[in-house]
Amino acid sequence: MNDMNDIKQTGLAKYIENLKSLKSSFANSFLRSGIPTSDKSRTAVVVNNFFLHLHGAKTHINTLRPSYTLGLGLISFFLLVIVFISGGFLMVYYSPSIGTAFNAVKDINFVVFGGKLMRNVHKWSGEAMIIFVLLHMARVVYTSSYKRGREFNWVIGIMLLVLTFVINLTGYMLPWDQLSYWALVIVSNIAAAPKELTDIFGITQYFDIGGATKEILLGGTEPGQDSLTRVYLLHIILLPLGICIALGVHFWRIRKDGGLSKPDTLVGKGSGVASISPPDKTGGIFPTHKTYGLMELARGRTPAVDNDVENTVTSWPHLFIAEVAVFILTLAGVIAYSYFIDAPLKEFANPAIPENPAKAPWYFLGLQELVSYSAFMGGQGLPGLAIAGLLLIPYLDREPEHFGIWFSNKQGKMVALESFVIGSIAVIGALVFVVNFGWFRNWWPNIHQLWIIAINPGNLLLGFVVAYSLYVIKRTGSTRMGAISLFTMFLVSYVILTYTGTVLRGPNWEFFWSSSQWPVH
Amino acid sequence: MQSRFYLSLLLISSLVLLTFVAIATYSALTPEWKQYQTEYKDFLIKNAKDEATRERAEKIDIGIQQIYLTSMKKADRCTSCHRGVENPLMANAEQPHRQHSGNYLENHPVAKFGCTICHRGQGQAMNLREAHGEEHTHWDFPIMPIKYIQSSCALCHDFEMLKHEGGGHVAKGEEFFRGKGCRGCHKLNGVGGDLGKALDGIGSRARAYFPMKHVVGDRTIYNWVKQHFDDPRQIVPESEMRAFLTGEESDLLTTYVLTFTSEQMPRNYMLIKNIVMPRTDGESLYKMYCIACHSDGKASIYDEILKRTIPAIMNPSFLKAIDDNYLKKILKEGRQGTQMTAWKVDAAGLTEQEIDRIIEYIAKDRPAAKTEPFDVAKFKADVKRGEELFNIRCALCHGKKGEGDLGLNLKNPVVQAADPAFLAVTVRDGRAGTPMPPFGKDGVGLIEQDIADIVSYVKTLSQKKL
Repeated sequence: MNDMNDIKQTGLAKYIENLKSLKSSFANSFLRSGIPTSDKSRTAVVVNNFFLHLHGAKTHINTLRPSYTLGLGLISFFLLVIVFISGGFLMVYYSPSIGTAFNAVKDINFVVFGGKLMRNVHKWSGEAMIIFVLLHMARVVYTSSYKRGREFNWVIGIMLLVLTFVINLTGYMLPWDQLSYWALVIVSNIAAAPKELTDIFGITQYFDIGGATKEILLGGTEPGQDSLTRVYLLHIILLPLGICIALGVHFWRIRKDGGLSKPDTLVGKGSGVASISPPDKTGGIFPTHKTYGLMELARGRTPAVDNDVENTVTSWPHLFIAEVAVFILTLAGVIAYSYFIDAPLKEFANPAIPENPAKAPWYFLGLQELVSYSAFMGGQGLPGLAIAGLLLIPYLDREPEHFGIWFSNKQGKMVALESFVIGSIAVIGALVFVVNFGWFRNWWPNIHQLWIIAINPGNLLLGFVVAYSLYVIKRTGSTRMGAISLFTMFLVSYVILTYTGTVLRGPNWEFFWSSSQWPVH
Repeated sequence: MQSRFYLSLLLISSLVLLTFVAIATYSALTPEWKQYQTEYKDFLIKNAKDEATRERAEKIDIGIQQIYLTSMKKADRCTSCHRGVENPLMANAEQPHRQHSGNYLENHPVAKFGCTICHRGQGQAMNLREAHGEEHTHWDFPIMPIKYIQSSCALCHDFEMLKHEGGGHVAKGEEFFRGKGCRGCHKLNGVGGDLGKALDGIGSRARAYFPMKHVVGDRTIYNWVKQHFDDPRQIVPESEMRAFLTGEESDLLTTYVLTFTSEQMPRNYMLIKNIVMPRTDGESLYKMYCIACHSDGKASIYDEILKRTIPAIMNPSFLKAIDDNYLKKILKEGRQGTQMTAWKVDAAGLTEQEIDRIIEYIAKDRPAAKTEPFDVAKFKADVKRGEELFNIRCALCHGKKGEGDLGLNLKNPVVQAADPAFLAVTVRDGRAGTPMPPFGKDGVGLIEQDIADIVSYVKTLSQKKL
C-alpha cells in the first residue's frame, strides 16, 4: 500500500517536473543543441536542423557580398514562398468551374477579409518571379557561375525558368474573365502552331501534332470547363510539384558544388566586402588551412571543396540574418506594390466578344510579336531555339578563367556593353522595318507560307544574334566573351520585344506609341 | 563580426513591411460601407423617439448585408451601404441612406427581389465605383438611369397591366415600337427584316458589343441606345437607320428596347395578368413591318439615306396596275437590287396568312375598275423610234440614259425584269400621287404604238453605259 503511494508520488513529481521544464526541453528538442553561444554550437544548430542544413555550417564571405549575388536567387525563392502561401489562401475560396470561378474571384476581391491584397500579392509575386529569375540568370551568366561542376545546375535553372513561365500562365487562366479566355485562345493557338508546318507538307491529316497538343491543353477544341480543369490541375499540383523538385535539386547541387561561386582569389577586401567584417580567426573549431570534408566518403566534390577557410564565417548568424533581411525586403516590396496596384479582372469570359487586341500575358508578348510574323517560328521554333541556346552556354564556354568575377574582366564589360548597344539596334531596327514596310505577305500576298517560316524578322534576328556572338568569339579568341554577348543580346531582345508587344501594339496588332492612341471601339 | 549592412536592411525592410501591413489592415478594417452603416446607426440613435426604438437602434449589427437570390444565384450586397432602403424614417435622408421612393417595395420586398434585378449594377461589389459599375470597372451593366427604369418592370409584367399600373413609359415605348416599323429592318424572335441588326438580347449585351466611339457622356448601353435613336449616323456613321423619335419619345423607346434581355426571369418572379395576343390584323402588321420605309404608302418618296425612290404602294393607280398575286410574289421574294426584304416564312419570317393580311390592307383602296389591259405583243416595236421618243418625253425626269433623277432609275433590275405590259400601262396611265403623268390618250396623248416603242427602248437600257 505504502509502496504504491510512493510510486504514485514519484510519478506525479516527475510529471510536474517535466511540465516545469517544458519550455527549455521543447527549445532543446527543436534546436537540438539549445541557443548557440560558440562557433561549435553555431555549427551544430545548422547541422542539426532540416531547413538550416540546406546551408553549410560556414559561409564564404564572398557569398555574403551584396554586390556579388544582389540576392536575386534568394528573392526568386522567397517570392515562390510568398506565392505558395498566398496561393493556399486563395485556394480556400476559389472554385475551378467556369460557372463559379469568376464570382469566386469577385468575392475574394470584395468580401474576403484581406482577399484583394492576397490576390494582388499572389499575382504580383508570381509575375515578379519571372523578372527575378531572369535577373538571377543574368547574374549567373555575368559572373561565370555556370562553370566548374555547375553546368547541369544551369540546366535545372532553365527548367525552373520555363516552369515559372508556365505556372504564371496557368494562373492567368483561372479567373475565367475576358483576359483569361482570350489568352487561353492565343496560347492554344500557339500550341497548335506546328499545323502551319504540317499543312505545308500536306500531312496534317495523318500527323496533326499541333492540333493534338491544342486538344490536350484545352480538353476539346475550344476553351471551356475541361480546359479550366486541366489548367487548374497544372497550376496547383503538377507545376508546383515540378518546381519543388527542381528547386530541391537546384539547392542540393549548390551545396554539392561547394556553395555559391566565388573568385579564386578574393580581390579587394576593401570594396564590396566592406560590409562583411573578415572573420575572427582566434578559436573556433576550424583551424586555418584545414578543410573538414564532412562527406569524405562521397566521390568528387564535397560541400567544402575550394573553400578557402580563412574567408568563411559561421552561417549562424551571418548568412541567416542576410536571408531574413532579404525575405523581409521581398515581402515588404510585394505588399507595398500590391497595396497600390490591383491585379486586373475584366468582364466574365465571353466567346462572342474577342478582346481586340487579344493579348497573351505580358511576359509572352515578345513571343506574340514574333508570332505575328510566323505562328510556328514565333510560338515554338524561336523560343525552342532560344532555350536550346541558353542550355548550351555552359557546354560551349568552358574557359576556367575569371570564375566568379562580374563580366570576367574589362574586355567582358566592353563586350556586354557593345552587345547591349548592337543588340538593341538590331531588334529596334527589325521592328522599325516591319512596322513601316511590313514583310513578305504584304509585298507578295500569294507567297508560299514556307518562305515566311524560313525567312522572317524573328529568324533573321536570331541568326544575327548567333552570328554576332560567333564573331565576338573569333575576334576576342574567347568563348566566354561569346557567352556574354549571346546572353546580353537574348536579354535585350526579350525586353524590347516584350515592351513592343505590351505597349506598342494595339487593336489588330497595329503599331501605336501608347495605348491612349488606340481607336475607341 | 556583425554585418551592419544586412542588419540595417533588415531594420528598414521590417519598418516598411510593418507600415504597409498596418495601412493595409487599416483600410481593410475601414471600408466605405462600414462608414455608411455607422452614420445610419448614429442617425437612428439620435432620432429615436422613445427608449425602445433607441435600444433597437443600438443593437444594429454593423456588417456586410447580402440578399441571396437563390433562383438566380445572385448576391446583392447593395444594402450594405443602402441600409435605410426600407426605413420610412429615411425618406428625406441623403443617399446612400434614403428610403426607396414610391410604394414599389410593398409588392417587391427587398428580401425577395434584391436590387440589381431592377436597377442593375454590380450587386457583389462592396464599393460605390464598382457597385454602380462606372466606366473602367469592367462591368457591363451599370446602374440603370431612372428614366429608363421601367424597362425592368417589363421583365416580369405584361404591357397591358403596365399601361394602367405605373409602367406607362415602357408601355408607350412598346407602342412606338409596334407603330414605327422597327421590325421592317430588325429581326426580333426570328421575325423581321435584315437591313439592321437583330434586336434579341440587346438589353443585356456586353458593352463591348456596341461601338461606343461617338457616344457622348458615359459609355453605357443606355446612352448608346438613346443617342442612336436621336441621331443614328452620329453614333454609327454608316447606319441607314431612320430617326423617327427624339428627346423624350426616344427615351420611351429606349426604355422598351432595354427589355429585350437574353435571360428569362425565374417563374416565381413573373406576374402576367393579361395574356395579350400579338395583333395580326393587316394594319398592325403594316405598321410593324412596312411603315418605316413606305410611310403611309400614298406618295412615292426619294429616300436620302437609301438613295432611291420608295414606291407608293397604297396609291390607287399603282394598285390598279398590279394584281394581288404579283404583290404577293414581291412581298414573299423581295426585290433584288433594292432594300425590299423577302418576307416569306423562311426569310424574314412572316407566315402566308400574315402576308395575305398585309396585301389585303395595302390593296384596300384599289379602284374597282380594272385597268384596261395593254397588249404589247400586238405592236411591232421600233427601238430606234422609242429612243427618240424617250429623249423627248422621259429623259427630263428619268435621265438621258434612264439613270434616274426626279424619276425612277430605269436601269434598275426591277424595272428591267418587269412585265412589258405593266410598264406600258404605267406609261399610258401615269402614277397618281407621283410626278409621273399619264402619257396615253387621256393625258399627254401618245398613241399605243409610241408607248410600245418607248417600252421596248426602256428594256434595252440595262445595256447602256452611263
